[in-house]
Amino acid sequence: MSGSKEISRRELLKAAAVAGVGGVTLGLGKAGIAATAKEKPAAKTKSTKKILGVDVIKLGGQGVISGAHADYGWQIQSGAIMAIDEINAKGGILGSRLELKFMDEELKPAVAVKNARYLATDWGAHLLFGVDSSGSAMAIGPILPELDRICVFDHASTHRLTEELVYGKGIKQIFRIAAPVYQESNLAALIFKENPNIKRWAGIHCDYEYGYSVWAMFKDTLKKYRPDVEFVSIAWAPFWTMDFSSHISAVMAANPDGIIATPWAGEGVMLLRQALMLGVFDKVQAWFQCMGASVDILEGISREVEAGKFKDKLWATARYIHNYPNTPENNIFVANFRKRWNRFPNYSAENAYSTIYVFKAAIEKCRSLKTADLIKAIEGLKIMTPAGERFFRPEDHQAIYNVPGGRVVKDPNYPIPVLGDLKVFPAAAYYRNPPFQALTMGK
Amino acid sequence: METLIFQGLVGLSVSMYLWLLAAGLTIVFGVLGVLNFAHGSLFMLGGYFTFTYYGLLGINFWLAIALSLLSVGVVGYFMERFFLRHIYHMDHAYQLLLTFGFILIFDDAVKMIWGGVAKIPPMPSFFEGTVSVVGRPFPVYNLFIIGTGLAVAIAIWQLFEKTWWGKMVRASASDREMASAIGVNIPTLFTGVFVFGAMLAALGGALGTPVRVVAPGIGAAMIIQAFIITVIGGLGNLKGAFVGAIIVGTLSAYGILLFPVFELFLIFLIMAVVLMVKPQGLFGGG
Repeated sequence: MSGSKEISRRELLKAAAVAGVGGVTLGLGKAGIAATAKEKPAAKTKSTKKILGVDVIKLGGQGVISGAHADYGWQIQSGAIMAIDEINAKGGILGSRLELKFMDEELKPAVAVKNARYLATDWGAHLLFGVDSSGSAMAIGPILPELDRICVFDHASTHRLTEELVYGKGIKQIFRIAAPVYQESNLAALIFKENPNIKRWAGIHCDYEYGYSVWAMFKDTLKKYRPDVEFVSIAWAPFWTMDFSSHISAVMAANPDGIIATPWAGEGVMLLRQALMLGVFDKVQAWFQCMGASVDILEGISREVEAGKFKDKLWATARYIHNYPNTPENNIFVANFRKRWNRFPNYSAENAYSTIYVFKAAIEKCRSLKTADLIKAIEGLKIMTPAGERFFRPEDHQAIYNVPGGRVVKDPNYPIPVLGDLKVFPAAAYYRNPPFQALTMGK
Repeated sequence: METLIFQGLVGLSVSMYLWLLAAGLTIVFGVLGVLNFAHGSLFMLGGYFTFTYYGLLGINFWLAIALSLLSVGVVGYFMERFFLRHIYHMDHAYQLLLTFGFILIFDDAVKMIWGGVAKIPPMPSFFEGTVSVVGRPFPVYNLFIIGTGLAVAIAIWQLFEKTWWGKMVRASASDREMASAIGVNIPTLFTGVFVFGAMLAALGGALGTPVRVVAPGIGAAMIIQAFIITVIGGLGNLKGAFVGAIIVGTLSAYGILLFPVFELFLIFLIMAVVLMVKPQGLFGGG
């Protein structure tokens, strides 16, 4: 492994200082927390020779930490830092401590690629993870062989990342721990195929990779089960849409029975508030907000859910929800997260937290930091995580686990709304399987 | 037909936020000659202050808006008095650099004070509900926004046409030296105009809070649209900003309804056509 030499204390301090400066330039608010995950001197460093040959295993993370979507990068960092601190407190991985550097991908593929190069080449990251935007993920994937690093993607969700780049082109350095768009498109189709009264569907979708793949897959899957449904209207919204009124009124002009929508984070909250304003929930029978069970959206619409304004018609899912599954692993994770950060973890946090434990499991399995060894170690890996047991499918490097969809409801046991009326389907029922058939997508 | 009327009305309400933003931008350019890149950030600050006064401190909605206008006015005062004033004589490039720097400063300041997560102010209950327009529910709040936008347009027009201050502003806009020679205190007047423009932006941001979210970066996102509007209408021309805002707001609403595939392209197409046919903008001088 390149750069696997003993690092002197001075060099370590220098690296920490560089990381600190990086944090500042990224924006002062949240980036500063990255600093807490490093600089804890490991005990007994001198006596035993390191199994991995390094004092520090460097983890290079990326996410969006600016703008209306900034909470996602914050959640990725918070989950990763929690796992790193837990592991370091127990002596690290095979005696090597973990150190994190986190960068803002700004939802821009060019920035994400630049960051990945910097993290791997200049900073010397052994492992890469993160990335919120599908466009960014599709740009980073192809340069991983050249960087000779693996990257575990913990949010970007286009099916093309694993289906085309891993299964199709054989880029084995890509892994994805989060559920891909199967979660919001195929699962939604399975839930709503049971409702014979919803025949006319409309979409309000992100005007980029993510929205295109969800809409294409939702239509494709639902049509297989329900040849009688129609897709009556569609509106596309780019990043930074501040007002969705025109989109909502345009799709409502076609009198849909159901609406499926992808805008996420702050944009998702705005979309739902404006839909309420326009009286949409008096007209439609169901609204499926794809990543609506993410904590930031649940917090954002809490008042309206409490007042019953969505009339129990709002449905959602996410890539993990904090009230599922009811296992000791999940309950402990949620409790510790709340204790540390005073918020509920959203899926980015769980996905990043589990990513760090996947690194741990893989390194312990192959006792190496070499990319080829790590790939072998993660392929076929089964690991218990807060979201349940994950299995990394060897063919496309996609982690298999299931997350239910459900109705957004108020639960007296929680300070924010949760998903109730859960519809649980095993992952095998809604994940696409190899060999993959390409979908026609786009506007 | 009903669909088109309804969509046009929705587009009109969106136009009004754009109008409030573009109005300040174009007034400041017309009088001071400064193209303020950070004007969108003042819009964002208007949202954050309203969120703080109304959403956090529970102050009366109208008072919260008034306080937020005052707060942004103070920010605008400092911006003009201690920074912009020193570069009026310099090239436009320096003004762009300075005001662009302000975008970064405001975004990071907002992150430090309010955090990176989008803030969601509550909706005042008296604005809830809809009225029936061509048989479809139309939000009362959007009607209020349309009314406010029109009222502000009339008020600004009255201000510049009928008041002494407005006349001084117009005089110094058309000939700074002559106005100065007949006793107009130009520096003070400029500060006043800048503060006024900042407060208009803040009003747009403040009025958005009940239905939108406030987040770092929304200023930079809004300013692009404001620039397009002023280019279409004519830089520095108030009537142009009003008409430009209505063109951009309603046409993008119709674009979303009728041409969802190339709706985004539509606005830029219009801007390109205006630039080719009338480079000074629809109402530009020359």
